Amino acid sequence: MNATIDTTHYSRTSFLDHGDDTRSIDESVRLPVLALFGNAIHWFMVAVLISLVLAIKLIVPGFLNFSWANFLSYGRLVPIARDLFLYGWASQAALGAGIWLAARLAGRPLASTRDRGVHLHTLLISATVLWNLGVVLGSLAIFAGYTTGVEWLEYPGWASATLFLSFLLIGIWAVLLFDRSKNEDLKVPQWYLIAGFCSFPWIYGTANLLLVWKPLSAASQGAVQAWFSGSFLSLWLLPVSLAALYAMIPRALGSPLNRGSLAPLGFWSILLLGGWNGIQRLIGGPVPAWMSSVGVVSSVLFLIPILIICINLLGIDYRKNPRVGRNVSLRFLILGLFSLITLGVIGAVSSLPMISAALHFTGVSEAQTQLWILGAVTFPLFGVLYEALPRLLGRECWSEKLSERHYWLSLVGFWLLIGMLVLEGLFTGLALLDPAVSFLNVSSYAYPFRFMEVVAQLLLLAGAMMLGVNITRALAGDYLFPKR
Amino acid sequence: MHRLPTLLSGIFLVFLTSWLGLVAYPAIQLGRLVPVSDAETGGSLPPLYNGSAVAGQRVYASEGCVYCHTQQVRQTSVTHSDIERGWGLRPSVARDYLRDSTAFLGSSRIGEDLSNVGTRLTNATAYYNELYAPASVSTEATMPSYSDLFKVRQIQGQRSAEALDLPPEFAPKPGYEVVPTTDAKNLVAYLLSLKHDYALPEADSVKNSPAPPSH
Repeated sequence: MNATIDTTHYSRTSFLDHGDDTRSIDESVRLPVLALFGNAIHWFMVAVLISLVLAIKLIVPGFLNFSWANFLSYGRLVPIARDLFLYGWASQAALGAGIWLAARLAGRPLASTRDRGVHLHTLLISATVLWNLGVVLGSLAIFAGYTTGVEWLEYPGWASATLFLSFLLIGIWAVLLFDRSKNEDLKVPQWYLIAGFCSFPWIYGTANLLLVWKPLSAASQGAVQAWFSGSFLSLWLLPVSLAALYAMIPRALGSPLNRGSLAPLGFWSILLLGGWNGIQRLIGGPVPAWMSSVGVVSSVLFLIPILIICINLLGIDYRKNPRVGRNVSLRFLILGLFSLITLGVIGAVSSLPMISAALHFTGVSEAQTQLWILGAVTFPLFGVLYEALPRLLGRECWSEKLSERHYWLSLVGFWLLIGMLVLEGLFTGLALLDPAVSFLNVSSYAYPFRFMEVVAQLLLLAGAMMLGVNITRALAGDYLFPKR
Repeated sequence: MHRLPTLLSGIFLVFLTSWLGLVAYPAIQLGRLVPVSDAETGGSLPPLYNGSAVAGQRVYASEGCVYCHTQQVRQTSVTHSDIERGWGLRPSVARDYLRDSTAFLGSSRIGEDLSNVGTRLTNATAYYNELYAPASVSTEATMPSYSDLFKVRQIQGQRSAEALDLPPEFAPKPGYEVVPTTDAKNLVAYLLSLKHDYALPEADSVKNSPAPPSH
């Protein structure tokens, strides 16, 4: 079957390389991908900075809390930071990564002729401007108190409509690339990209329609919101990350997938379960009992695709390639993979009713969200960025020192944050089970962990700044050291 | 096998399953829920909010209360701890949210659950003090002050009847008073009306259901 074709194909060359054509493919997507990634990274840095402020606010409630500046209150900054992570950073970077990967995987330039390319770039850059306009105006609206009040969909209807339209304008070109793909039998990373790019309009459109543009009765909103948050992560952002993992890890190691014939099972089970496991957020909640049960079952079954992904990608012999340790891109991809494994295990365990009783709504729930957004989604996107930028610019552009620092600060900050959130969740969750312990008392258990969470956020911010300096340096190089 | 049309139809079909289950089903089935009539008062359950409470939902959303406070008492099949903690007499059901414009279910309990806060704190003054100066209620509070919902103003003639009675260390300087704004009043009206202390056909109060296991 095609799985065997995949494997042989991998072993000879990679899907991502096309000899002399490679250069023209990169040039055809250069401007839009740079625009998307460049904007996305700004939002990432802002979001990480706000997260630090939020972490401090949890231990010092009065920090940056003024009656004349209510827009800096905890309740407004939380949705702003989260939406910047989701829309400003992750979705935008996923669009950029997706277009680069799609063009490389298809083996075709974005546009067939130069003239068309110019028009297309104008369109894509305008759409990117539109996307960022949506993010800016949406965030300002939350600052000003005009939130919709729906978690993860706080942007007012007109801002989310802007994002939706902009996505269609950009995403359609990625999908068209698959239609023109050199290889008619599409490869694993291509499946994931198609799934992701087709899911976004459906997920974001449905959720906005039913929760923002023309809200349903509040009795049914909970289930739809849970479906949205689960699907947005596991059917839009995760597939793009997985496309990066499947395309880039075997290539960097110079080996084929391990047991590539399992890959289709992994793909289809992610698609099937991804839509259901968001309802895990409502275990025990005001939804029909079967939904609660489905949340548990799908969270546990989600381990199957994760296991398959591990077999495929971690089963490769890493010792064959001695350069692995120095490849920042590859290490970020693998970090993303380990986040995925961790979130699968924590998700499955904490969805079991007995355990959910204690840990739901605590730091463990927050740890899961962070494992998704920062871990399984953000790290693979960094992996793409580190690999793609030098190719797009046509020269080595990264400072190795800064890349290393970015990697290590992110790694330590991230796992420290997850560890502390999980411990905070365990301590407060178990205490909450005992009604004799007052709620204020329970909160005081969280204090030492929240203190360490501030340290973790500081490390993450330092890492983000390393990336910021690194990329500024990389892009400025174009002007300071013109290409020969 | 993995050509574009096959792949697209496959993705569409697989995607459709969760969409039907978690979007279409609740939209149709739960969307059909209606209030039930209350035999005791002749009104309906859940009761209608008053105008001020309706406006208060907007303030609740704007200030982002939902990021620290849930509004759901979990089912006894999962845990009794929410009920034992006094957060409600019975688990929340979908019908409880019928009168809300947005269901503020929440996903984090940095603060207490608020589904029935109106039964625990029954006096508007208590809310005002907690919102203006949480530390005046408890020094360990994680909650920040929502002083933007209040006005500190010079006392003109007599002290306003609405002015907050605060402990000395939180009180404004002499000659000044702290009064709630309309937003604060609406928010508190909404919080006061958060009480699901009645039984619904699908949710008896816990008194009638099997006793929780002893610890």
